[in-house]
Amino acid sequence: MVERIEDLNLPNAVIARLIKEALPDGSNVSKEARAAIAKAASVFAIFITSSSTALAHKQNHRTITAKDILQTLNELDFESFVPSLTQDLEVYRKMVKDKKESKANNKKDASTGDAIASSSSAVVVADSEEAA
Amino acid sequence: MKSSMDTGLITNEVLFLMTKCTELFVQHLAREAYLASCAKQSNDTLKYEHLSQLVNKRKNLEFLLQIVPEKIRVHEFQEMLRLNRSNASDDDDESCTESESDDE
Repeated sequence: MVERIEDLNLPNAVIARLIKEALPDGSNVSKEARAAIAKAASVFAIFITSSSTALAHKQNHRTITAKDILQTLNELDFESFVPSLTQDLEVYRKMVKDKKESKANNKKDASTGDAIASSSSAVVVADSEEAA
Repeated sequence: MKSSMDTGLITNEVLFLMTKCTELFVQHLAREAYLASCAKQSNDTLKYEHLSQLVNKRKNLEFLLQIVPEKIRVHEFQEMLRLNRSNASDDDDESCTESESDDE
């Protein structure tokens, strides 16, 4: 366990930017308020983590899933976050999938040196694996 | 996250969600505190007091009561101590005299 909550502080620049984005232009935030928000955010992260872990264990799985987190947020009265988080998660999952696919395509292209390899890529990959 | 979890690994997806929802939380806190206080007055500076008042008001922010406590003046605190002591001393009177007799 860490010694003090200060050891877990999130980067101040990011916090400052987020606060600025949330408030109308021209508004100010006192240093104390900013520090309090930063501290609250760290505690929030730990709180959600431990609540999600507890939920996962209750449902008999050892690893936290995205679903656990969303469910936790609902139970802790933060349901307003869930719709935009669900959307962000979908965008993220798609991005990961696209990255994986493009990586796989690059590998196939590299092995044939041919840009139009995708139609016969399965055969080509099998060949290059055998050669290796 | 790792400091508060006992076992299990943290997937990238989970990490992404945690980051995103903490970001949302920061914005939520800032916005709510600002709306609850600065919108009413012409003042546009968000202060510590606005946050502690919001934490006191909202049920879903109860976990922050110790983290963003309301500030009180020293004399208010001394008054509270005094009241506490006078409440406690009513119960303690009997036990006090007993312990005194034991010491002697």
